[in-house]
Amino acid sequence: MCCDRRGQVSTEDDAPRREVVYARRAARRIARSTPAAGDLYARDEYGRALLRALTRAQLATTLAVLGPTAVLLAAYPLLATLIPGLATARIGGVPLALMVLGGGIYPPLVALGLWYVRRAERVERRFTDLLERR
Amino acid sequence: MSEPAAVAAVVAVTAATAVIGARGVRVSRTPADFLVAAREVPPMLNASAISGEYLSAASFLGVAGLAMQDGLGALWYAVGYAAGYLVLLATVAAPLRRFGAYTIPDFAEGRLDSPLLRRAATVLVVAICGFYLLPQLKGAGITLQLALGSPYWVGVAVLGVVVTGNVVSGGMKGITLVQAFQYWLKLTAIALPALVLLIGVHHASLASASRPAPLTFTTATRVDFPQAEAIDVAAPIRVRVEGRVDGVAHHGELSLGAGSHSVAAGASVEFPAGAAAPHLRGLTPLGGLQWSSPFVHLPGQGQHLLAATLGVLVATFLGAIGLPHILVRFYTNTDGAAARRTTLMVLALLSCFYLFPAIFALLGRLEAPGLYTSGQTDSVVLALPRLAAVGGLGSLLGAIVAAGAFAAFLSTSSGLMISVSGALAHDLLRGGVRTFRICAVTVGLATTLAGLAVAGFPINVLVGWAFAIAASSFCPLLVLGIWWSRLTWLGALVGLGLGGGLSSAAIVATMLGVGHSGWPAVLLGEPAIWAVPLAFTAMVAVSLGSRRRLPADVIGKLLALHLPEAVRLPYQPGVYPAAAPAALAPQQWPGRVGSFTFRFRRRPERHPRPPPTNR
Repeated sequence: MCCDRRGQVSTEDDAPRREVVYARRAARRIARSTPAAGDLYARDEYGRALLRALTRAQLATTLAVLGPTAVLLAAYPLLATLIPGLATARIGGVPLALMVLGGGIYPPLVALGLWYVRRAERVERRFTDLLERR
Repeated sequence: MSEPAAVAAVVAVTAATAVIGARGVRVSRTPADFLVAAREVPPMLNASAISGEYLSAASFLGVAGLAMQDGLGALWYAVGYAAGYLVLLATVAAPLRRFGAYTIPDFAEGRLDSPLLRRAATVLVVAICGFYLLPQLKGAGITLQLALGSPYWVGVAVLGVVVTGNVVSGGMKGITLVQAFQYWLKLTAIALPALVLLIGVHHASLASASRPAPLTFTTATRVDFPQAEAIDVAAPIRVRVEGRVDGVAHHGELSLGAGSHSVAAGASVEFPAGAAAPHLRGLTPLGGLQWSSPFVHLPGQGQHLLAATLGVLVATFLGAIGLPHILVRFYTNTDGAAARRTTLMVLALLSCFYLFPAIFALLGRLEAPGLYTSGQTDSVVLALPRLAAVGGLGSLLGAIVAAGAFAAFLSTSSGLMISVSGALAHDLLRGGVRTFRICAVTVGLATTLAGLAVAGFPINVLVGWAFAIAASSFCPLLVLGIWWSRLTWLGALVGLGLGGGLSSAAIVATMLGVGHSGWPAVLLGEPAIWAVPLAFTAMVAVSLGSRRRLPADVIGKLLALHLPEAVRLPYQPGVYPAAAPAALAPQQWPGRVGSFTFRFRRRPERHPRPPPTNR
């Protein structure tokens, strides 16, 4: 997190304009809570530390879900290469590959997604609490 | 051969889409256009709409067709298509919504302050969408081939004209409800026939699909050849022929000796029950054990299975992030948190859908070996109901899948066409609605012509290539842009050029027939496996070497990307309060959050007068 040019303000007319369209409910929520965000928008060391804390926690959450996902996906082809019997195994006449790829792999994927959403929302809740605990 | 019920179903779907298109909102790429965001589309509806737009010809026809032809390993494509949403969820869903960028070129310019990067990203959007449009057109071609008995080009032209007309007249834009309906239509259209055929219709034992014995016709079967093919016959058989075989017109019984025979387009051959199914020359069908192994078999080769499988996984797993027509839809989420919940639901909805192509592949291998003979495995979903179920039930189920398939082509190609014309008109030519329409017509014409040339490639492989380009260009741009503060526009540009350019070149080389076997075939046919690491490395290395090109106010941009809604101001570049630095001693900062355990200490008290710092 470096080199932010100390909050230089560029007000040239040719600067790209960006409009964020918010839903009414979201806009009300933002309007209610902006005073708490003062520390963040100040370009000081404390604000940077806060932002770094948030992004690192979120990145850790991301890696904590994508790591296991990558293992989950790559495990079957890797194991089947090492143990050829796994590649052609059948359970009750139905190929193992069909049971895994045709259905079995999806519930863990959805579970990982659910876990990520909960974890990410918790991180954000705690971050918000921290800012509002004055 | 003509199927009146299927024709009626296709016409109904097309007409409904055209009517909705004609009544739809006018296309205008102004902020007002995106006021749809203010409607607070609930996550479930939005998730259905995203799934509806995402499930294309590849998912509806291609996965089952490729799994039937190249073995169950082809189901990795489906797994990757779904798992890609887990990556999207965990890396880009909430930050992109919060940043307010609704296209990748927008994100590129907004995050890295580089109009040049925006143009480079636009070129890649066009390339990816173009690659993605081709298989949709092929799908339409074979659907009408089966339903109407028309030549391949008719379906391609019909879809090209309908979609172009629809986009030019302004339809399908932001019509969340229609796209949501399309998802449920597609799910019904694939699930109902699959379950009826699996449970209700008598078929050979499922276990025999993986037996090593050659595939045989269980009943006397007529095989139609829409295209001229050369087939290999293993043992002499007596067949009934209508049309030209080996250059001679026949009407009646014919004895086919062992060896190779050429069958003219439009011919039909009836094989007796119990005969071994001939196969296309040079394309030996996989034995039962190979067929049921969990590896991706590239066409015509049996080596380096693990590398090919991982290549497909990397491309599909990381490619979903960079699909332009999908990211636009995320803008209709209320906020970042809603974007996350929407993505999770998309993952669940796609998982439900992908349970069914496998059933079609399995039943197709058991019940429709004639598709191997005529080289039409891509149409197994469309043809199987008619082959496996007799009479009215077969026609009804056939009509249902034809309607679902056409819904798939229409929704996906409309989304793609809007993305690519929008990118050209808005980002490259900087024109208005008129330019947009001219671009749409040009793109429609160009892709329709290109669609005529791809009849020989499996649908799923074509879509896999679009994913490979997206994975090796936009995936690193978005992931590093969101999570790494030191990315510079120069690094991003070099990474996009190397990853996107080299993977596109590898794919074009494969299409032209370079690299038939061994490592060249794997590395050129599945470029994601090397292009993704290459693009990431290039972006990081060049960015570290070009620190002076960092964009202004990186902190402000990261705040815009990551702050939860409860504590954020709307992002406007350059207008943040530049407050005096209230420096704190580092030991007074809140608890470090480098590890996964998340603990903050109490907020420290401020110094009454911050000491001046000279940084």
